[in-house]
Amino acid sequence: MSEELRLSSRETRGKPGVKRYAMVIDVRRCIGCMACQVACKAEYDVPLGVFRTWVPYRVVGTYPTVKKQFLPRLCNHCDDPPCVRACPVGATFKVEDGGFVLQNYERCIGCKACMASCPYNARFMLPEHRTTSKITSVVDKCTFCYHRVSQGLVPACVQTCIGRARVFGDLNDPNSEVSQLVARHATQVLRPEEGTKPHVFYIGGDRNLTEYGRALYGKSDYLDGERAMFDRNHKI
Amino acid sequence: MLDYTVFHTIAWPSAYSVYFFVIGIAAALFFLSALSWYRAEFKPLRASAFYVSFVLLAVGGLLLISDLSQPARFLSMINPAYLNFDSPLAWGSLNLVSFGLVSVLYFVMMNKGDEINSRRLAVIGSLLALGLPVYTGFDLTVHQHRPVWNTPLMPVLFVALSLVSGAAVASFLAKGDAKLLATLRSFMLWSAGAVAAMLVSLLGTTAYGGSAQELTFMIMTSGSMGLAFIWLGLILGTAAPIGLLLAPVGRQPIGVLAAGALILIGGMALRYAILVGPQLVHTAY
Repeated sequence: MSEELRLSSRETRGKPGVKRYAMVIDVRRCIGCMACQVACKAEYDVPLGVFRTWVPYRVVGTYPTVKKQFLPRLCNHCDDPPCVRACPVGATFKVEDGGFVLQNYERCIGCKACMASCPYNARFMLPEHRTTSKITSVVDKCTFCYHRVSQGLVPACVQTCIGRARVFGDLNDPNSEVSQLVARHATQVLRPEEGTKPHVFYIGGDRNLTEYGRALYGKSDYLDGERAMFDRNHKI
Repeated sequence: MLDYTVFHTIAWPSAYSVYFFVIGIAAALFFLSALSWYRAEFKPLRASAFYVSFVLLAVGGLLLISDLSQPARFLSMINPAYLNFDSPLAWGSLNLVSFGLVSVLYFVMMNKGDEINSRRLAVIGSLLALGLPVYTGFDLTVHQHRPVWNTPLMPVLFVALSLVSGAAVASFLAKGDAKLLATLRSFMLWSAGAVAAMLVSLLGTTAYGGSAQELTFMIMTSGSMGLAFIWLGLILGTAAPIGLLLAPVGRQPIGVLAAGALILIGGMALRYAILVGPQLVHTAY
């Protein structure tokens, strides 16, 4: 990314001397097995009803020639993250070397300003009671598996993806696989108009998957089952 | 549009709209009490408006703290080592605490009969009171992807809503004082007019926005927020009181009080619809 496109001092893409991790998701390779979702749940003991990564889909075509289009989702670890500037107490921060957007659980007051500011629905409130973890009633999100990446591993979702639909690496390194994928393929990011500079890139994404649709209107029972389950486990 | 996605909750539930409502009224009532030092017709409101303002400030503060999922950490909001001044919430918490402190001092000076200091604190407190609806508006405005919220109108709209709701409450505290009610009628009329103009403008820009804006417009007019926004907020709570205040009966105390009651219903409904409506479209993204 050229220097003139860098608007905020927080942005580190193309900045010399620091890494800028990114994920490339080739949706043509995604088979919707949800293994990434399961691996993430296992890695972090993510509670019922909330997700650090999830795989929504859309059914396209006419019977009998129909198929599901998947769009794996997670925190976009934006280069200019709106959640960082929204947090009144600095509980959300960006790691300069790597570009991880992380959460300080001890400092989070639970005002949910970061949730309101996220254009990607990547943040959620942890429930009051959890089986094994003591981290409760604070906002949580995907960390790009900071603990794994800092030890030279790839994120759990990338490790487990059977189709190699997810590729992870340093975008500031021109020789990395993600840099080459972004350079060679037409890629798409979610909601680029918001100026957040998301760092999850999609190859083969369909805008019907990434934009709001008119069918949303009038669906008063939309996700009622999920909503009821969420309400049982959460108090927001 | 996805056929399946996981459930996402809205970030700020309706409890926040109650906070917006009470804090807006508290700010306006302090202003009206402060005005009593400079305009004689407001003198009957000096003590009563202040006391109600102070009670509502306490209620609002408690609401705000109880809405945090970590209420015990509320002091972090005023800890200089933690504060992130990029966030309007940080400014708002300082504004709220300063307003509370000035209110206490104002109470002390008012009861001591110290007119000079009361007048000074009235001015300082009024400026801080103005900051309350302004910061609540900015709380919403800064979220760039939210339709309706992300417009320059929000802070101004919240100031007008604060003024109109505060004047409505004050009309009940006026105890039938004809001169005071006539002034409050003007306050209500002009600020309700400003609210109406801003809402029409907001509807226009939202209807002609991008896909999220268009969907939000649909949700807020004919969708699940239609009753709160259009019927209770715009028609019953804004247009009807303006009509009532302009009618001959609106110049009588009963007319002003009836308009005040409608304005309070509308003020709460508008804050609820403006807070919750623009979040709904995003729950399915």
